[in-house]
Amino acid sequence: MRLSRKVRLLSAALVPMFALAACSGGGGGGGGAAGGGDEQVKLTVWSWDGTVERAVSGFQAANPNIKVEVVNAGSSQDEYKALDNAIQAGSGVPDLVMFEYFAVPYFAIPGKLTDLGEFGVEKLKNDYVPAAWGDVTVNGKVYALPSDYGPSAMFYNSATLKKAGVDKAPATWDEYYEAAKKVHALGGDHYIAQDTGDIFFLLSLIWQAGGRPFTVNGNKVHIDFTDEGTTRAVAFWQKMLDEGLVNTKITGWSDDWNRTLNDGTLATQTMGGWLTSTLPERAPKAAGDFRVALMPQWRQGDKVGAENGGSSFGIPAAAGHKDAAFKFLEYFTHGGGLSSRVDAGAFVPNTSVLESEAFQSKANKYFGGQKVGAVLAEASETVGSGWQYPPFFEWARSIYGDIASPFYTTGKVKLAEILEQWKQRCIQYGNEQGFEVD
Amino acid sequence: MDLARRFDVTPSAMAPPDEERHPAPAGKRRKSRAGLAFIAPFGALFALVFIVPILYAAYLSLFQDKLVGGTTFVGFANYGKLFRDPQFWDGVGRVVRFTLVQVPIMLFFSMALALALDSMRVHGTRFMRATIFLPYAVPAIVSTLMWGFLLGVKYGLFGSLNRALGTDIDPFAPGTTLISIGLMVTWAFTGFNMLIFYAALKAVPRELYEAAAIDGANEFQVVRAIKLPALRGSLVVTIIFSIIGTFQMFNEPQILPTMVAGSGVTTFYTPNLYAYNLAFTGSQQGYAAALALVMAAITIAVAYAVQIRGLRNASHQ
Repeated sequence: MRLSRKVRLLSAALVPMFALAACSGGGGGGGGAAGGGDEQVKLTVWSWDGTVERAVSGFQAANPNIKVEVVNAGSSQDEYKALDNAIQAGSGVPDLVMFEYFAVPYFAIPGKLTDLGEFGVEKLKNDYVPAAWGDVTVNGKVYALPSDYGPSAMFYNSATLKKAGVDKAPATWDEYYEAAKKVHALGGDHYIAQDTGDIFFLLSLIWQAGGRPFTVNGNKVHIDFTDEGTTRAVAFWQKMLDEGLVNTKITGWSDDWNRTLNDGTLATQTMGGWLTSTLPERAPKAAGDFRVALMPQWRQGDKVGAENGGSSFGIPAAAGHKDAAFKFLEYFTHGGGLSSRVDAGAFVPNTSVLESEAFQSKANKYFGGQKVGAVLAEASETVGSGWQYPPFFEWARSIYGDIASPFYTTGKVKLAEILEQWKQRCIQYGNEQGFEVD
Repeated sequence: MDLARRFDVTPSAMAPPDEERHPAPAGKRRKSRAGLAFIAPFGALFALVFIVPILYAAYLSLFQDKLVGGTTFVGFANYGKLFRDPQFWDGVGRVVRFTLVQVPIMLFFSMALALALDSMRVHGTRFMRATIFLPYAVPAIVSTLMWGFLLGVKYGLFGSLNRALGTDIDPFAPGTTLISIGLMVTWAFTGFNMLIFYAALKAVPRELYEAAAIDGANEFQVVRAIKLPALRGSLVVTIIFSIIGTFQMFNEPQILPTMVAGSGVTTFYTPNLYAYNLAFTGSQQGYAAALALVMAAITIAVAYAVQIRGLRNASHQ
């Protein structure tokens, strides 16, 4: 699981997604305001998102007294670990650091991140899709700015669905269930989806159904997998598993998974929008067959989405050059440097980009000429808000497989029971770690 | 299985220490200071890369890291928690069971191959020796990936075998994964152990064989009376290395879950894997340090027990 998530994030970050037509090449004009004084400042930025580099030259040209050095200090937990070490040692703390959304509370709650309120960050709020803004807000304070986004969408193999007699993408989960039966009727190897205990997928279902299992308030964390939305999502996926409509033998991101995507025996993938750039590499033989649609809805006519992945940048509380750091942060996530990153393939939650004509009207050849950007923009803007991750989510997701896999391997999956055991482990761990979890 | 690679095993390392042959006279004790100077470079390096990290781990193990409230001194609480931790004992039980089954099988193969090569009845000894040793040179990560493909039931070789025979055996089901890992480890380390045995056999004086030939001993008697006793010392060494190696198992269970679904590999599958996950995703460095030290103590205790028993038996000969 660890490797796979890195792969997702890396590909989300590095591989050109939408080569935007026209637009500026060199990082746009400077934002005007030159650096505070004549003093030379050297910023250190930790990022595994390769597109950040693209914004550096434009920024340095506009701010000659600030030098930016972008360092890849590892991905995800490797980087968090390095940051924790640097903070503990009191030296080598970078000025800007990349965080996946679920990692923001982990650093924000113990006071390791700068509250960006002092830079007047609130006024940027409406320039991002609401859920992304929610991702960087902890206990009412903003600790990071969103830099890339993973709105959940349904990628479907239209050829396989057609063969099964499904002529249009399932728009509701009920239709999805009917389609699943038809797909499986094509032969024992055909499934509409795979699941071997993918917590990010299950949470995105819950998220979309309106469930909010984690409530975080300061050091208090409340976990409840019995609210209405969670129950509905869990019951639905349980039905899919019970009726054998889901392939539980193939794990995502494995070699087997690649092959089933290529030969069309796996009909859909409900995942983050970053799959747009990964799928052509994983399933080159299925070129032209796949299409993208919004997640199927819980009620006909609804338009609610969920998230699956994405990241942001924050300024450590121990950083040396906070003013300059914020200046660069604003530049590459919001200001003049944004377009150069988008050109390089970054998928960002900025409404200015998502709503732009260039982004919306670009046809994607792999997806049969579909205007993928328009779908993903809509998926981003409809993500349900108010979701929270517990501060120890990184740990929690790593042990989810321990609990889930015995259920999946015996073929008797009881999602509610898995979630209940998971909750108990989280409560125990969270309280040991000094939180109040119930 | 990496520790064994750090040791350079040669037959001379197995010979009895020199002191036994030439005990130092009591009067020469004065000169020991000069001796100290000679071992100082080694001593300093040994302290730096061996003693200091262990002491640091011991120091770390007395603290608890909390996300809220930071690091606090907790005395031996981590050890108390560890001894009551079912996940830790699950991992320990697994490597012990693994060792009990896999090590004897692997060493049997190694010994048989060494005897075969030494019998001078096979052609292409050098080629065989190199070939059998080759898997040891393959990094564990690569070999795990390779075996993962070979044993995969969906598209792997094993899948084709299942289809041809009409069977339904999954080498990576929770009940069989450990056997598959045993196969990988045996494949990788049989050659290494064979080389140790082979070196010991080469060190047997030719006169013994001549004497045996004069006495009219047949090949089987030569093996029983000369070769097997000659292997006793290296057997102790290989057993110890194998125990240390299997107790430290990490690469295989770390990689497998990304390749196959439902292999039953958990985050606490082996003690080493558990320590890694505790430290790097649970940020429980203190607890992980305690685990590492307890595991080291268990490994050392088992290795010593084997050594003492092995050497006592050897001296009875």
